[in-house]
Amino acid sequence: MAITLERMRADIAGMIHEDPKEIGLEDNLMDLGIDSMRLLNLILKWQEDGLDLEFAELADRFTLAGWWEAIQAKQAGSGA
Amino acid sequence: MDAKPPAAISGTGAPLTEAQTGLWYTQRIDPANPILNTGQYLDIAGPLDVRAFRTAVDATVEEAEALSLRFEDRPDGPVQVVDPARRPFLEVVDVSGADDPAAEALALIGADTNTPLDLARDRIASFRLYRLSDERHFFYERIHHLAIDGFGMVLVTNRVAERYSCLMKGTEPAARFPPLQVALDDDRAYAGSEKREADRAFWHEAMAGLEPVSGMAPGRAISGPSFHRTSFYLPQGFMERLQVFASEAKVTWPDALTALVAAYCRRFAGTEEIVVGVPYMGRLGNSAARVPCMLMNVLPLRIAPDEAQAMGDFLVGVSKQMMRARRHGRYRSEQLRRDLGLVGGQRRLYGPLINMQPFDLPPAMPGLDVRLNILGAGAVDDITFTFRGDAVSALLMEVDSNPALYSAEATRAHSRRLAAFLEKAMEAATLADVPTACEADVQRYLLEANRTGHEVPDMTLAALIEAKMRATPDAPALVFGDTVLSYAELDRRTAALAGELVKLGAGRDRIVAVALPRSLELVVALIATLRAGAAWLPLDLDNPPQRLARIVASAEPVCVLAEPGNEAFSGAHVLAPTEWPTEPGVALPQVQPGDMAYVIYTSGSTGEPKGVVIEHRAIVNRLEWMRIHYGFSADDRFLQKTPATFDVSVWEFFLPFLCGARLVVAPPGAHRDPAAIAALVRRHDITTLHFVPSMLSAFLASPASQGLRVARTFCSGEELTADHRDRFHQRITGELHNLYGPTEAAVDVSYWPAGPDDTSSPVPIGFPVWNTRLYVLDERLRPLPPGVAGHLYLAGVQLARCYLGRPDLTAERFVADPFRPDERMYMTGDLARLREDGAVVYLGRCDHQVKIRGLRIELGEIEAAIAGSGLVNDAAVIVREDRPGDKRIVAYVVPGEGYEAERLRRHMAARLADYMVPSAIVEMEAMPVNANGKLDRKALPAPSFEGMAARAPATPTEAALCQLVGDVLGLDALPDPDADFFNLGGDSLLAVHLLLRVQERFGFDPGLGVLFEHPTIATLAAAIDADRVHDSGLEPIIRLRGGDEGRPPLFIVHPAGGLSWGYRTLARSLGAGRAVYGLQSPAIDPDHPLPDSLDALAADYAKRIAEIYPQGPYHLAGWSVGGIIAHAMAVHLQARGKKVGVVAMLDSYPAECWRAEPEPDEAAALRALLAIAGYDPNAHPQLTTRGAIIAFLRAGDSPLGNLPRTALDGVVRVVLDTNRLVRTHYHGRYEGTVMHVRAGLDHRERPDLVPELWLAHAAMLDRIEVPFLHPQLTAPATSALIAPELDRRLAEYD
Repeated sequence: MAITLERMRADIAGMIHEDPKEIGLEDNLMDLGIDSMRLLNLILKWQEDGLDLEFAELADRFTLAGWWEAIQAKQAGSGA
Repeated sequence: MDAKPPAAISGTGAPLTEAQTGLWYTQRIDPANPILNTGQYLDIAGPLDVRAFRTAVDATVEEAEALSLRFEDRPDGPVQVVDPARRPFLEVVDVSGADDPAAEALALIGADTNTPLDLARDRIASFRLYRLSDERHFFYERIHHLAIDGFGMVLVTNRVAERYSCLMKGTEPAARFPPLQVALDDDRAYAGSEKREADRAFWHEAMAGLEPVSGMAPGRAISGPSFHRTSFYLPQGFMERLQVFASEAKVTWPDALTALVAAYCRRFAGTEEIVVGVPYMGRLGNSAARVPCMLMNVLPLRIAPDEAQAMGDFLVGVSKQMMRARRHGRYRSEQLRRDLGLVGGQRRLYGPLINMQPFDLPPAMPGLDVRLNILGAGAVDDITFTFRGDAVSALLMEVDSNPALYSAEATRAHSRRLAAFLEKAMEAATLADVPTACEADVQRYLLEANRTGHEVPDMTLAALIEAKMRATPDAPALVFGDTVLSYAELDRRTAALAGELVKLGAGRDRIVAVALPRSLELVVALIATLRAGAAWLPLDLDNPPQRLARIVASAEPVCVLAEPGNEAFSGAHVLAPTEWPTEPGVALPQVQPGDMAYVIYTSGSTGEPKGVVIEHRAIVNRLEWMRIHYGFSADDRFLQKTPATFDVSVWEFFLPFLCGARLVVAPPGAHRDPAAIAALVRRHDITTLHFVPSMLSAFLASPASQGLRVARTFCSGEELTADHRDRFHQRITGELHNLYGPTEAAVDVSYWPAGPDDTSSPVPIGFPVWNTRLYVLDERLRPLPPGVAGHLYLAGVQLARCYLGRPDLTAERFVADPFRPDERMYMTGDLARLREDGAVVYLGRCDHQVKIRGLRIELGEIEAAIAGSGLVNDAAVIVREDRPGDKRIVAYVVPGEGYEAERLRRHMAARLADYMVPSAIVEMEAMPVNANGKLDRKALPAPSFEGMAARAPATPTEAALCQLVGDVLGLDALPDPDADFFNLGGDSLLAVHLLLRVQERFGFDPGLGVLFEHPTIATLAAAIDADRVHDSGLEPIIRLRGGDEGRPPLFIVHPAGGLSWGYRTLARSLGAGRAVYGLQSPAIDPDHPLPDSLDALAADYAKRIAEIYPQGPYHLAGWSVGGIIAHAMAVHLQARGKKVGVVAMLDSYPAECWRAEPEPDEAAALRALLAIAGYDPNAHPQLTTRGAIIAFLRAGDSPLGNLPRTALDGVVRVVLDTNRLVRTHYHGRYEGTVMHVRAGLDHRERPDLVPELWLAHAAMLDRIEVPFLHPQLTAPATSALIAPELDRRLAEYD
């Protein structure tokens, strides 16, 4: 199952007890309270949905837009 | 093919990143320390394809540029270069042939991890595959922390696994690592960014008002070469409970765990706030997130929990704090430390480290079962708590600690106790509900340590004395001046007076007051009172009459035994000694063990004096314990000199009469006169006496005490310091015992043997006496574990019955014992701490708890530092608050020989944390004491704080150094010699510049470590002067390193060249606190030829070391010929009855091995010079003539090159002459153990050179081997291996 931008936005918001509307595409996720533990929990969650992401792949661009780009590249690369 | 690395980091090299710089200095300060080797190994089970694995590793090594970094130390700072020639490609090591291949592989891994790197020469990383069998391999990765951090290590390891998997599956690996340059560019971009400014501002605000940071154990937190580790998996279900606990507070479990661990640590620090370090990976939102390199930072977290707060609120508070900290987590903690002036000395930014690794998983490789083992992850300055989760249910807790601060046992105990603390905290409503001690602590320290049950006859003191009177009627009992009373006479006179007292109404639970000066009559009065069935109440005639009258009025005695005419007793019946009958009359009553024996009024720090009522059973327990415990007999002679109003006098008065021994009563006033005491001891052959420690100090300072022999000396009444103990054993032959107890518990309740071998500091009050329990409890009366200060409570048979006529006070101080139903315990009001061995350490009064700026000040430690200077005869340190809110530490000293305030100040500054250095020193002629001989603190005068501003330099070195510091830091005015280099604006780089200037000016480099240890100009000057005492470095004995006076030093004998400079690294690698001296050949001086035999030389050396350390034991060592001389010295010393400790040889072989060898000629001697100077002679075959070799040495940076020509000639001559002496030497036999360190890689051509040859000349051999050549044995890497082995053996003699 492919992951959508809105699904990601909702998962991030759930992780920090925020409304998804509050998560902007270019917001620094660290400022919103995503730390390494929460990031790892997100990755685990998405792995269950078949998306094989690694911590380091999401660590450098720490915005929703950055992540979405990385995930799209990944999904394209694996032919999904 | 690889893309070419960008220019900056290839070719000329790039400066270090901010993250690397701190580590670089850490390594530079202590080059021989291997602790920055981070390492791990994968335990791989299954059929590994070694060829594919090699391909995977080597490809990863090529792609991760940091692994081939080279570091160069340039004048304008260190640089790093990616050097493809240094790629650490995989080495495969087959250990399958070993008896235990896994053990063999682990030993090799351990040896590699513990070998320090030479950053300029060695590869920064190493990858090895140990083949244990076809089905099992260990993949070992070791990378210096400068090149990698924990996350980088994961990246590298996972990449190897990924590449291996692809090779096995025939797929392509994902994108490559970004180049290292990305990390460097990012670092540079951050360096000048607004973000960094904002981060900096955040941290400055977060750290505002920071008090000096302390850890869980006292001491200087600098990582040594190794650490203790305890690790275990937390029990099943822990993770689940933790997750529930954390989610209830809506925080992540790592944050919750961090908060709880910090709360645990704070209890041990004893401060209101603790600062813990939290490793932060620094990768999130960083473009270098995927670069294997060093980015990790440590964030300081200030935690000051309100323990009464709801647990959830506490967790949320800490979690929010961590969230904010992470947003500013790129700002380097090393930089923050410099910003805040927390560099050098004992200053630091954080104490314990708390490290969360929630997803610590081994990489997956197809067909293989892989397990991950982390060996070391960098320096352990204090203590590090690491939690490694497997993302599912298991949680491993790892506790790593600095052995200088924590024992292995303490480390294990912390891990057990913390696990219990966490479990309880997860169930608790508030932190305050969580006890500090765990079940094992309670078992060990509350129950076992107090298991003191012992049978004691249920008799009264009167009955015990009467029994002895009848048993030995003719023996002398009492001596006063020239008068001697026998037991029979004592019996008669005390029975007579007792009869008279009975007539006056004395009896059960009645009181007889005694107000007599020290005399025979005083002793008669006390015994008579007991025999009359009453309790004695001693009165101090020096007290104001009103006070005496008040006591008499409240105690209502049947009479007062006193000289007539004292108006204080006008309201009572006075019975003067002249009226006492001398023949027994009436029959005496039966006395019961539960009856009152005596009442002693204690002044108490405030308010009305209170009478403490002690029953017979209590004091009999105390006396019988002492009699048996110390083995007293009828042959003992006790000196009675303690005033009767001080309860210590009780054992002086009565213990002799329970032993059939003799009591010598000192004349009134003698207890304050050292000469009179010494004369009494000598005249009467006193075997037992007592001192209050401050009086002992005065006694030891008096010439009269020198060489005294007394079987047992007891101290009590105030704190016995380590200095008192050590001075005692220097002057007096006999046992010294420290006793402790309040009047409320029958004199003493604990004991500690403070013998000459005792090195405890502070000296404990020790262990409970018979039928007695000592409790160290927290505010909620819960037992505390060792290491935590708490309230001292006492329980057992010795407790007083009550305060006379004060049921209110009695109820307040004697409370129910929570650990034994229906029993009481007494609240001493003293603070105490348990040691790991269960001994109790007294810390002071609760109401006088000394804290300055929130830090507990150990006044005893300051006093010990002053006393250790040898400059004063007596010292006391107090905290004054002469102006409200302005607390200052003031030292009072009685100057001794060589005293100068400035010298004392330097001495203290070098030994004490800066906040503990007194702000004033007041010179006194003598210390004021009160009537009991205790220091009278109230009588100490207030100091004047004038003239405390900047002072002029006191020595030429200080003056020169002030100038250099001023230059290096660009100061407008010359700095105060007491100013701190780092507070003046110095940082690590400027420190290197300063030391270059010091080298130019003084001709040698004291080392960066010395500057960090002695950050003030004055202390650095003192350190330089201490080293420069041995100006030319050619003296027969040079001090390679200072140490504690109490520890026997190590003497290292020069090798053939006669100089022992080469031992400097080995000396510095040894554990702190031991002095190391190098013996050098006196024949370097042309006017001083060598003696004609090696034995004569050894005898000369033995004499020299005895001058330095007369008492022994002597620890000897030597490299090469030095070992032969050390052996001869050991034989010589042993033949003279001297105690020899360790005899260590660095690759020495007995003389018979060399007799057949040709004598070296001058050319060979000259080439030996090269080796002495640290060069490999075989690397310079062109150097064959004297001129060429000397020119080569002069051009190099070896200190030998700067020697005067005559000295160089001397070295050549000594090489030739020493070799001649060796050939004609015949060994004596040493009846002891020779420790032999063999150069394992050497002697291929002389396989006959084996350590066992020494068994012909020594009783035992203790051999170790190091993987180096003979000439390398004093090099840093070798010293790092040898030093711990030596330390361990040396410690056996401490």
